[in-house]
Amino acid sequence: MSFSDAEAQAKANKNRTGAGVSAQVQRLGRFMSGMIMPNIGAFVAWGLITALFIEAGWINKIAEGLNGAPNDGVMEWTASVAVLVGPMITYLLPLLIGYMGGKLVYETRGAVIGAVATMGVIVGSEVPMFLGAMIIGPFAAWCLKRLESTWQGKIKPGFEMLVDNFSLGILGGALAVLGKMIIGPIVSQLVEWAGEGVDFLVENSLLPFASIVVEPAKILFLNNAINHGVFTPLGTAEAEETGKSLLFMIESNPGPGLGILVAYMLFGPRMLKAAAPSAAIIHFFGGIHEMYFPFVLAKPRLIAAAILGGMTGVLIGVMFNGGLVAPPSPGSIFAWIAFTPPGIGNFVVMFAQVILAAAVSFIAAAFLMGFGREARREDAPEDDTAADASAASPTPATV
Amino acid sequence: MPSINGSDVKKVVVACDAGMGSSVMVASTLRSKLSPHGVEVVHTPVNEIPGDATVVLCHQGLAARAQSTAPQAVVVPFAIFMGDPAFTKVEQAIKNGETLES
Repeated sequence: MSFSDAEAQAKANKNRTGAGVSAQVQRLGRFMSGMIMPNIGAFVAWGLITALFIEAGWINKIAEGLNGAPNDGVMEWTASVAVLVGPMITYLLPLLIGYMGGKLVYETRGAVIGAVATMGVIVGSEVPMFLGAMIIGPFAAWCLKRLESTWQGKIKPGFEMLVDNFSLGILGGALAVLGKMIIGPIVSQLVEWAGEGVDFLVENSLLPFASIVVEPAKILFLNNAINHGVFTPLGTAEAEETGKSLLFMIESNPGPGLGILVAYMLFGPRMLKAAAPSAAIIHFFGGIHEMYFPFVLAKPRLIAAAILGGMTGVLIGVMFNGGLVAPPSPGSIFAWIAFTPPGIGNFVVMFAQVILAAAVSFIAAAFLMGFGREARREDAPEDDTAADASAASPTPATV
Repeated sequence: MPSINGSDVKKVVVACDAGMGSSVMVASTLRSKLSPHGVEVVHTPVNEIPGDATVVLCHQGLAARAQSTAPQAVVVPFAIFMGDPAFTKVEQAIKNGETLES
């Protein structure tokens, strides 16, 4: 079978099942999160340094606790290390994002010009330029790709390196200037508005309603797109200003998924019941939320349980000023613990957000599954449980 | 429609959205089952499935994307991440030389 036949086949499959739109949305989301996710390790490094060494950080708190008073020597030392925090969030993280964004479009040369252009938006703004990097990185790479396609194959042998280096250098330099003068200020303004929008939602206790959108989107495998495309950049900017952000806790709360999996352990149909405990462990401790998506897809009305659980977690965060210092990724309870700011109160709020979210989603899910009555009905008439798992959820797009 | 005989499979690609989370987990469980048969198991993001892939495993919610990224490959969708019949099917096909179809 030829390549184009296969492609037509794939297209036909997509149209037949109507998965085209969702695949398109997933693809856009993947592009956004694809710039952030490979760099999460750098966010974690930044988060740990911040949590440990800033003035209100762990080392100073512990020294104060041991001494009974702030320890000047320790504070001087942590302050000398904490100079890392600013440059890492202002330069390192946006440059990595711009680099990765360029790489997605045009390989290594795209990555390099993406980083060069990102430098322009960084110095052209007051706030950490994650959003700006996500725009100008891929844009710069796309420009370079277009420019080079105009003379591809027409360069005299031996002059390729000269042309390559100067085309990237001239275009990259120009885009950095453009970024400094025009894109940086525009994006700063946009980020400021987005921040005000989030503040408005927080102040009016509207943030929990975000879960109505976020939880269903997660199940459609848009979890990374939402978390790392939207919440990680906005939350990191907020955390840099205020020391923590609740935005990190909207998508990554392991509570709602845990509640659903525990409900399955007790009340689910036989086949899924057996898979639920190990899924719960990997989900809650390993932070791989994909583990519980199939359990919701198998009984789509359970999405209501996920939404209610998610809203509970966010609501408690809004009421008691919850927040994490850096993006917890993966969304494991350990990542949540690692990025909770020092102070017993912060931990109480954090655990309340997880446990109550789990409790609410458990109760809702158990109710929606009729406390096991439904599973007994499903299990009774047939023994062919192996077929259940694949039959229970919507038919796959390609078989 | 792409198809392949199980005995010709040398490499199985497990794909997920980011290629960092669930696919890594599925790949590591599958690896222990398939390596005795001389089959390599790798994981990738669903948009970056290599062009020479012959067998791709991914969640059914991502199957359409997997097939359009790798039209040449047999895409085997699964519903749950552990103990899904699809994993057994692939393992059996490789062990017994049965045909796998997309």
